[in-house]
Amino acid sequence: MQELSDKLKAPLTDLLLSIADDKLMLGHGASDWTGLAPILEEDIAFSAISQEEIAHAAALYEVVGTMHGRSADAVAFGREPSAYRCAELTSLGDDFDWSRAIVRQLFCDHFDLLRFERLARSLLKSVAALSKRIGAEEATHVEHADVWLIRLGRGGDESKTRAQAALNALSGAAAMLFEPTDGVDVLEREGIYPAGEGSLFDRWQEDVGRVVAEAGLTLEVVPSPADAVGGRRGRHGESFTGLLDEMCEVYRVEPEAAW
Amino acid sequence: MSAGVTSSEELRIDWKIQEDPDRMAAFQAHIDAKGLVEADDWMPHNYRVGMLRMAEHHANSEIVGALPEGEWITRAPSLRRKLALVAKVQDEVGHGQMLYRTSQDLGKSRDQMLRDLVTGKTRYHNVFNYPAPTWADVAMIQWLVDGAAILNQKSLAEGSYGPYVRTMKRINMEEAFHFKSGEDMVLTLMSGTKRQRQMAQEAFDRWWGPCLMFFGPPDRESTKTGPFMTWRIKTATNDTLREAYVDRFAPAARALGLNIHLARKNPDGLIAVKADGTPDKIEDPLIRLDESTGHWGFTQPDWDEFYRVIGGDGPCNKQRVALRRFSYEQGRWVRQAVMGCAGLPPSRN
Ligand SMILES: [Fe+2]
Ligand SMILES: [Fe+2]
Repeated sequence: MQELSDKLKAPLTDLLLSIADDKLMLGHGASDWTGLAPILEEDIAFSAISQEEIAHAAALYEVVGTMHGRSADAVAFGREPSAYRCAELTSLGDDFDWSRAIVRQLFCDHFDLLRFERLARSLLKSVAALSKRIGAEEATHVEHADVWLIRLGRGGDESKTRAQAALNALSGAAAMLFEPTDGVDVLEREGIYPAGEGSLFDRWQEDVGRVVAEAGLTLEVVPSPADAVGGRRGRHGESFTGLLDEMCEVYRVEPEAAW
Repeated sequence: MSAGVTSSEELRIDWKIQEDPDRMAAFQAHIDAKGLVEADDWMPHNYRVGMLRMAEHHANSEIVGALPEGEWITRAPSLRRKLALVAKVQDEVGHGQMLYRTSQDLGKSRDQMLRDLVTGKTRYHNVFNYPAPTWADVAMIQWLVDGAAILNQKSLAEGSYGPYVRTMKRINMEEAFHFKSGEDMVLTLMSGTKRQRQMAQEAFDRWWGPCLMFFGPPDRESTKTGPFMTWRIKTATNDTLREAYVDRFAPAARALGLNIHLARKNPDGLIAVKADGTPDKIEDPLIRLDESTGHWGFTQPDWDEFYRVIGGDGPCNKQRVALRRFSYEQGRWVRQAVMGCAGLPPSRN
């Protein structure tokens, strides 16, 4: 990787972790459906998505690990809860309600696609190249989530009611996806995370809103106040710590050992 | 119900059925000449039913077999293992999907098969009624259970029903991959810390017996053989496969530093503990290579346990069926939404 000044290293670490941690948690949640999804064909498709989320996270942990002289596994599993940068939405359980799983995925996939579009234009060549590759796979996740939301919205009364309930239930947490990581403004100025036209929030609302409308559903997401502190700055709720403990259960038995 | 749809009532073995003798003779000659039977070919009623039963049982086993390992996906101890485990369980679901398709073509709808599974009308492989209490069990399942499945499925790939045979070949390629990764996991544990080695040995103790039972009861007690061997629905006897398994795995386990024990189990499938707090197990005194036959000796597993577990009273029977049922019920509204019915699409459109 190109030499990074110390002033940029911490903000970049936070940004990359915010994406990787989101993806690890999201992939983890999606993998819970492996073997239990409503239709076998979809079980296979959703498992593939969960694997891609985890693989994307792994690739980003590798980058962060290299910056800090740690292994990707140590970065993924060996941090204090307050050092994780994921948004709460990614660790919210779905109670095996398929509409919740789909809405969680829809919100996060659209957001990830926008983040990778920006990172693909980064002046850091290696990050840009990786982001192009990940972004291309991300686009297929977006398509998958879009198709499902539309199916559910148009799939009759029960399905529509459930899909709407899931949108309502997750809309509050969606706003906190946009909580900025520390120092992100510096990264924008230096061309490491170049801003695009319009705010991320506006673009996301437009993209997701289009799909929601096509599904015959409604969504209202109220932006969080600028000073709201959440997962991006290490403040996590119980849904996250519970999930992290489960995820690290075996790893912590012998953190130094190979598994 | 429209005409032409076979109701499940008709899908029973019935040896009193008189098939056309000329057709039967031609059918048997085709099979004896190693010919394959295709879905649209004429076949005796009992061949169809026997094949359907086997493919359906196999399909059920794949999707129930996804459960004990699936429980560990969220706790896999490294990124690489986590990815590999999701992919592995995904493969098993894929095997289930392929095998349900094969079964559908033999005359039973997928929804009916899933309903029969979750209501306990049909069964799945007995080995999945045992618990996987630690990460090392995941390693043992992939090594020992997938190893057993490969042996069995290689013999089934020599069978006579074309669609099933082709599915077996495809599945076996993926199973070989699972087996490799299982072997790697066991090797990693056995070359790890004392605690990891102990985890591996304890998991091995739990799975060795169920794996010996994997191939079914001893031939003298097995009722399934007869016509199904002549029709090449089955191609090897239970005891032959079991012997081949021990010949392969007894030396491999010992080479890895694992001891083969006779262990007493609790009803929950865990190794019983003696009054002094140590596990109730001894080394199997018969485990050694018999130079004169070239085969490894072993003590037969506890066949009473086998019949008890297969009869429904195993450590995890209730839990496995309940989880499949939960999944079936949770998914009902989704299937209704996307397909307009709780059922599933026919395999051939
Ligand atoms: Fe399989
Ligand atoms: Fe397998």
